[in-house]
Amino acid sequence: MSGERRQFKSVKEVPPEDYYTSGRRTCAGCGPALAYRLVLKAAGVNTVVLGPTGCMYVANAHQFLTSPYAIPWFHTQLGGGGAAGVGTAAAFRALMKKGKRRLEDVNVVVFGGDGGFADIGFAGLSMGMSYDYPRLLYVLYDNESYANTGIQASSTTPWGATTTFTPSGKVRRIGNERMKKNVALIMAAHPGVRYVATATLWPPLDLMNKVSKGLGSGGPSFIHVLVPCPKGWFTPPDLTVELSRLAVETGLWVLWEHENGRFRLTYKPSPRKHVKNYMQLQGRFAHLPASEIDMIEEVTEREWEIWAEMDRTGKLMVP
Amino acid sequence: MIEERKPSPNVLEDLFWVVIHGRGVWHTGSSTTLARVLAMAGVIAGRESYYYMRYDDSPERVNIPMMFYVVMGNPRVEVLLPEEVEPVGRLFNAVVVMDSVSLLKETSQRATLFDGVKDDAVFVVNTGLTPPQVLALLKKYQLTRDWFGKLVTVSASKYHTNVAFGLIGALLRAWDVVGLEDVLNALEALKIDEGAGEAIASAYKDASVTEVRIHAEESGATGRVGVKTPEFRPGPWNVETYREYQRALSQARSYEDRVKIMPRWEAMAPGLIEFGPPPGGKNIGFKTEFARIEAPVIDKSKCVDCKLCSYFCPDGSIDFESVEVDYEYCKGCGVCARVCPTKAIRMVSELERVEGLNDPELRRLALVTREYGY
Amino acid sequence: MKVLTRTDLEAVQIPRKKPITGARAIAEAVKIADVDVIAAYPIRPYTGVMNALAEMIANGEFAAEIIVADSEHSQFEIAKHASAVGARTFVGSSGVGLLYAAEAIAVTAMDQLPVVALAGCRALDDPGNFGMEWNDTLFFRDSGWLVSWAKDPQEALDMTLVAYRVAEDRRVMLPHFIVVDGATITHIAAPVDTPPKEDVTEFLPPYRPHYPLDPAQGPVTKAQHIAPSLIGPEQRKHVDVAMKRSRDVIAEAWRDYADYVRRTYDPFIETFHMDDAEIALVTMGAYTVNALHAVKEVRRDGIKAGVVRLRYFRPFPAWDLEKVLSGVGGIGVLDFSYSFGSPDSAGVVFNEVRAAMYGNPKPALDFLFLGGREPKPADFVKALKVLHKYVRTGDTPEGKRVFWLTLRGEDV
Repeated sequence: MSGERRQFKSVKEVPPEDYYTSGRRTCAGCGPALAYRLVLKAAGVNTVVLGPTGCMYVANAHQFLTSPYAIPWFHTQLGGGGAAGVGTAAAFRALMKKGKRRLEDVNVVVFGGDGGFADIGFAGLSMGMSYDYPRLLYVLYDNESYANTGIQASSTTPWGATTTFTPSGKVRRIGNERMKKNVALIMAAHPGVRYVATATLWPPLDLMNKVSKGLGSGGPSFIHVLVPCPKGWFTPPDLTVELSRLAVETGLWVLWEHENGRFRLTYKPSPRKHVKNYMQLQGRFAHLPASEIDMIEEVTEREWEIWAEMDRTGKLMVP
Repeated sequence: MIEERKPSPNVLEDLFWVVIHGRGVWHTGSSTTLARVLAMAGVIAGRESYYYMRYDDSPERVNIPMMFYVVMGNPRVEVLLPEEVEPVGRLFNAVVVMDSVSLLKETSQRATLFDGVKDDAVFVVNTGLTPPQVLALLKKYQLTRDWFGKLVTVSASKYHTNVAFGLIGALLRAWDVVGLEDVLNALEALKIDEGAGEAIASAYKDASVTEVRIHAEESGATGRVGVKTPEFRPGPWNVETYREYQRALSQARSYEDRVKIMPRWEAMAPGLIEFGPPPGGKNIGFKTEFARIEAPVIDKSKCVDCKLCSYFCPDGSIDFESVEVDYEYCKGCGVCARVCPTKAIRMVSELERVEGLNDPELRRLALVTREYGY
Repeated sequence: MKVLTRTDLEAVQIPRKKPITGARAIAEAVKIADVDVIAAYPIRPYTGVMNALAEMIANGEFAAEIIVADSEHSQFEIAKHASAVGARTFVGSSGVGLLYAAEAIAVTAMDQLPVVALAGCRALDDPGNFGMEWNDTLFFRDSGWLVSWAKDPQEALDMTLVAYRVAEDRRVMLPHFIVVDGATITHIAAPVDTPPKEDVTEFLPPYRPHYPLDPAQGPVTKAQHIAPSLIGPEQRKHVDVAMKRSRDVIAEAWRDYADYVRRTYDPFIETFHMDDAEIALVTMGAYTVNALHAVKEVRRDGIKAGVVRLRYFRPFPAWDLEKVLSGVGGIGVLDFSYSFGSPDSAGVVFNEVRAAMYGNPKPALDFLFLGGREPKPADFVKALKVLHKYVRTGDTPEGKRVFWLTLRGEDV
């Protein structure tokens, strides 16, 4: 089956229909909700969505048996995202091959949080990326904590952030002392993988176009989307998109894609802004002294040399 | 008879409930303080006292209405502890409303602030509006029945950055289950700083108490009364029956109505099946306007139709074609105003947009949301 | 010893029977059922069924997506989601593998998805143990899965076909475990008659879910998070009613199966020598045959004993059990399960049997075969003798009700 990979050039070309529609209990200014909305907009009506347990499961808890999903949606367990995608895609392939369902491209999008896709043994994600189901897309919506249970650290929580499991205290001052796990690089390292990318909410269209590329890549694909979380990051809800922009412009969040074995940066901040522009807006970093933030700036600078090198050579390296 | 959801009336006569209506994140701290101090004061006054956040509201979400309960018994009366109190009878003695914009809306669960409230209940509202203004709003949007209670208004942030203290002072003026002295002792027991005591005492002195006698017929919100509840029909659930059920939900005007509409198990599909809206539709059974403190207002003369506001709306509540805000769903996060390249979108107080009223307490709340984390 | 001739044998061999292992027999059933999606992950002893299926698919004997999963949890998640789309699925595991998948197993029942799974019983770790205990599967006794227990490869094949029919019946819609007693069935070849596919086509129509998760069928939202004040017991009642309805559906399915395949079973309970039995051994699975031999032996000594075999553990056939045991003076359970600290510190099956007999209580003893150690025929004979004495005199050795018959050392 052929893969359509529509690339939008302007926001005005975007289809007006939403498949994750209005009417749910997500926070005002919820980054994951916006990502969910944009991803499904790009995927279109012929899509099945699977939602591992997480903020976007519980925040969408029905009120009086209502549902915001205009396309099929099914819950899966926190540790089941990868397997759920494989099972769903396998069913469509089997039914179509055996003539039990009409031939058609059906997208399968699994929307896992950082708890669901970066922790809990990758939730079968690694298995999913090793199969050849063509229209299977895994989206990691990364709000950098277990937000639903009250902001607990995950393995993608950045160094220095306070969470309820890694509070900044009198003795342990820093908060989270683990470095953020780079899940997209791990996924890109799977053999024969067609499409892996990172994204956030900004720049406009970037996320949607990457979704389109992933679904049309002919293989399973993975997009790691950074999504600001007003509640967990201690930020005003109107800053959600602005924070996405600053994450990119400070180089703390690197936008790239790995397509058919070739790495490429999709956005090069120039000049790159100091990371304090991003971090100082967020209450979760408020306890960090300027010296610590400068240290993060230095680390970011060093890492960017590697990112630039990867962009030149098209090869994966580990910053 | 603890097995029954509605305890027997004589048990309830010995219980005193305070319901606190707040907003996720913004009022979590103040609601906790308020409830905790009251419960401690209850203990000091010799009453068994509990407080808790309504568990269905947990975890709380930014802007989304949530509730706290404080319940205390008469001396030697054990408190019943239901996880959720179904507001179908007349249970609650006092209602604390943390912001005046809540007076305009349903909450996520409650159809009106009077759901489950006793006829002689005390209402305490954190607002800079005058009592007649507040009464008018309650009559217009909330009251569907008789209310012979008391209204106390207080501009709580004048007394302390934590609005809990001003509200406690105001509540004590009209609600005597615990006394001012009990509360001040509670502060000491809980090691809460002295400023709090002064705040409570000053608010107690300043708060404006209005005796209210309103009959249902005088209420402007009586349109909510008497909406027919769809009849239960057993049988297979399918998209059509589901849509009918969703429409009924969107018209229900009380919590009681909504619970009645909830299908019996026989009418549900096995394996917990629901049906989403048709493509292009929205989840009409769950509107989210209650989340809004501030509302985006688009100045079309400045709009260049770039569609960025629609693209970036987390709730999909700005129409792509017309670039109009769908105020039934907009949660007032303000992302649209931030991303607008021509500054054509302005965030205005929802109370001002709807009623032309200016409440300094709401201005302060809006400021808190905009400065969050700094 | 007398050598029996063909005419002495009770059963007449049907030529199409040939000796295959239980694993292979179940795989044959999966092939006949034209299963669409299979999820495999190795753990002994159930693995053989997946080996067989993989070979069949590789050789083009039938078409299915076979997923080599990365864990048992993934296996059961894959099956659950494939089933939600509308595929017929097969999955399975053993021992600790089942427990690793516990979460996915539990939700499959609540989702009311008719996944069929093989549970090849195996003693739980630690220590690692190839032996057979029932505790792995009985972990799921409260989960809403239908559970049937086969005694030999032939029955395992038949039960698999019937399982699809029952699980997918719209009155039921529950997942189904086919349980076999580990290697005694999966790894032992016995004569099995594999019915031709045409014979069961009508018996087992294609799987058609009510609300498949397929964009062609509209926006179905499944298993959204709920507020329990609004929906809670209502959903559980659905599972409850499905389980209750399954009783009639199972009986009907076995009746139909007999029509199509010409092999007859009593649906829930199989009895041997119960017409005049004064004492009865109650058990499940493969060792029923050994129990039968033990009964024959004690009957030579004049002890009127019988055997009752439960074919289903869920729904638990309490109605039939009470009936067949109504005339006996005592019950002995041959029990490969244990529940530490349970009433009388006894087995799971023992306590279920006692609960089923609550309205008509009988003296009952529990004979435990734990830790995976295989019982000897003499153990069953001993069980019968202990039970017989207990019924007659009210006495048991040291006054015990529960016996660890294969234990070395003092049974305290």
